[in-house]
Amino acid sequence: MTPQSGHQHRKIRSGNQMIAEGAIRSGCNFFSGYPITPASGIFKSMIEGLPKRGDIALSAPDEISALAYCVGASARGCKAMTATSGPGFALMIETLQYAIITEIPLVLVLVQRLGPSTGGATQGGQGDVLLAEFCTSGGYTIPIFAPSTAAECYELTMLAFSWSEVLRTPVIILSDKEVGMTSESVDYMALRDIEVVNRTGLQALPSNYSAMERHIPTYDFSKLEEVPKFFTVGGEYKVTMTGSAHDKNGILQKNSPETIEVLRHLQEKIVNRTFDMSVVKFDAQENAETLVISYGITARTAREAVRRARLQGRKLSLLNVLSLFPLPEKKIAHALNGVKRVIVAEENLTGLYHGVINHLFANRTVIGVNTIGRMITPDDILRAISQDSPAGDGGA
Amino acid sequence: MIMPEQKYRNYLIEDAIFPFCKGCGHSHVVTRLNDALVELQIDPSKVLLVSDIGCIGLVDNLFPDLHTMHTTHGRSTAFATGVEIADAIKNTSELKTIVIIGDGGAMIGLLHLVNAALMNVDITVILANNFLFGMTGGQNSNFSPLEFITPTTPRGNMIPPIDICNILDGCGAGFVARTLATDKNLPHVIAQAIAHPGFALVEIVELCTEYAVKPNEITGKSLEEILARHQLSLGILRQSSVRKEFGVLYKEKYEPRVENDNTSSEYIDQLFSGSLQKQMGIVIAGTAGERVQSTAYLLARAAVMSGLECTQKNDNPVTQGSGFSLSEVCISPTEIYYTAIDEPDIIVVTSTDGLEELLSNGTFSRASEKTLILADAELSLHETNARVVRYNFRKKMSPSRASMAGVFLASLLVDIVPPEALQAAIKERFGKGSAAYEKDFSQLREAADSLV
Repeated sequence: MTPQSGHQHRKIRSGNQMIAEGAIRSGCNFFSGYPITPASGIFKSMIEGLPKRGDIALSAPDEISALAYCVGASARGCKAMTATSGPGFALMIETLQYAIITEIPLVLVLVQRLGPSTGGATQGGQGDVLLAEFCTSGGYTIPIFAPSTAAECYELTMLAFSWSEVLRTPVIILSDKEVGMTSESVDYMALRDIEVVNRTGLQALPSNYSAMERHIPTYDFSKLEEVPKFFTVGGEYKVTMTGSAHDKNGILQKNSPETIEVLRHLQEKIVNRTFDMSVVKFDAQENAETLVISYGITARTAREAVRRARLQGRKLSLLNVLSLFPLPEKKIAHALNGVKRVIVAEENLTGLYHGVINHLFANRTVIGVNTIGRMITPDDILRAISQDSPAGDGGA
Repeated sequence: MIMPEQKYRNYLIEDAIFPFCKGCGHSHVVTRLNDALVELQIDPSKVLLVSDIGCIGLVDNLFPDLHTMHTTHGRSTAFATGVEIADAIKNTSELKTIVIIGDGGAMIGLLHLVNAALMNVDITVILANNFLFGMTGGQNSNFSPLEFITPTTPRGNMIPPIDICNILDGCGAGFVARTLATDKNLPHVIAQAIAHPGFALVEIVELCTEYAVKPNEITGKSLEEILARHQLSLGILRQSSVRKEFGVLYKEKYEPRVENDNTSSEYIDQLFSGSLQKQMGIVIAGTAGERVQSTAYLLARAAVMSGLECTQKNDNPVTQGSGFSLSEVCISPTEIYYTAIDEPDIIVVTSTDGLEELLSNGTFSRASEKTLILADAELSLHETNARVVRYNFRKKMSPSRASMAGVFLASLLVDIVPPEALQAAIKERFGKGSAAYEKDFSQLREAADSLV
């Protein structure tokens, strides 16, 4: 037995643990949580990680409080995160919308389990993808990143924190039981270090300032896509926050042109950066006419299925979508070049993500691979791959 | 009241016309809050006013120099709690956070009030209680007196009003007061509440002139009588600074210090070379409390020590500490994509609990002729195509070492991880306590020779 080099920086880590590590690496200094399987591991890791550094991690009495504490702490200048699963997320939606309209950066981890309602606490699922994305009145785009491995949990958490700061908005990490609670060997040397974006705009006023100088618009922008500078509640500049539709000063207004402009800005600041936010892993094979698209836990199955299909001599490409929203349309369209048949695999009843990207497929054959209550297997996808349906029939 | 040396003479907007109906008690609440701030002479940049939904929620724009958060219904206290904790622990703890909430908001957000009082966060809650929902048409609230007539209690309210002061007193709130909006002493009561280090609540009872007065034939003067009828006392009901506020307690409890963190900082060195050629799936099933999942972890660790990749997932009944315990470990020389085990390569089963779970979750029926099953000798197995090795793990070793014995025997019979790697992982984990395992292993080596 001779020790080998190059394998000295590995640990065994769960997806939940790596989300906590990514958060701490990003400078997260506030976590409030409420226990729920399969997200409790993140709560535990943050309780282990933050207080001993002089940072804050605490138990909230319910999920509504957990997220509201995060919003308050972020408004006071902390980088905040909470983690939950479907039933808890349902309770957080009101507060999440408040964070969106008040432009409060934070990260919300949604570790999916089988729904609806209490569903299956220890069963995986990818059934919350549209619940998470379209939970606002008005359908405002919420950035969502979906990891499929422990390493991606780390990297995408860092990315989520960075974008939440850049955009002043909540960002969701959409994990699931299988990603969160499965432990695996992680090579720390291979982890991508994402640039940490620190909270800016906490400037102090000039000395001997007048009362008027404290008054600057809380939501100031000249172009819709601009992100207003962040000023902390309790800082020297006066901050005016409201969950009501408001003008740039944060004052409630009913249907004033400026208020409508602020609402449009909430959407524009995000979709305007779609391309920069897009993260996919495209495993292209030359002359492949079949493309498998997947995300989250099922992307791992898809990788295995594609590996096996290629061993059988089939030509096919694989697109793993890591940034689900805003829709990375250009990257998906790029992967569709020359493709005649698309297979979309996800662990939910009706093909939820498939539904929102279907318009990109034009007249290609499309096959959805869906299950609930268990992981999609490589065989499920291989069966779809070996369906020799002619191109252009619209698919299933 | 205003002394010439006072820097801050008024926190309210100049020449304010309040957005409230004529005679509404909210106007009193707002002006008395202003008087309290003047009494305290707080720098307005050090005050956050968190308002709730309802008519009283319109106060934020009346105080132009204070920080304001106009929040969602009932949640004002929770947002304020988040701000205050961050201020107390990560900032200078100079911010005065004042929540202003109506009776409707206090009930829908009761949990937030209760938790803020239990935690003793340093916030002050001004509860403007006018017995009803004024903004939406005068519907009854949980603060409505008995027989109160509203559009939603047309024959009179049947449910007694909540005694919020009593509830929060029961939660350890340090400052609790109930006053009438017209009480001359109100500014001073509010000032004391704001100055109180920890959670404080002032319930201010007032009248909605639009909805309360006409159907109920009440006036400001009858309020005292209504409260008395419901045993709702007036005055400062609790004033005690015995409890430390949350931020102070937290900082004492979690004074930053360097802790030896062996579990999270340690990399797993590669000390062995695994010769596994393809991904392998191992299912270990037994009884909760018999080290099934920790055995799986040590197997995964041995794999990493051998330069291999691994995944591990565990399953057990929701009650955690009873019934079956099960782990699935995948080991591979290359990156593991698919983490489930459709066709198990190895099954280690050491108890009836474990066997029953393998039967009910379908693992046992997915075993093929390529599968190696290591089963405790006393289990009655169903018919299977798999290769079965029986050994009296529980009796010859012990129930808590049975799973590891099974895994070790498997490593002697099939190429999973080098048995030495398992021994090293055990030694690392148990130190001197690994002697019992070593004894098991030499016994198993002999057994393996006869099995091969």
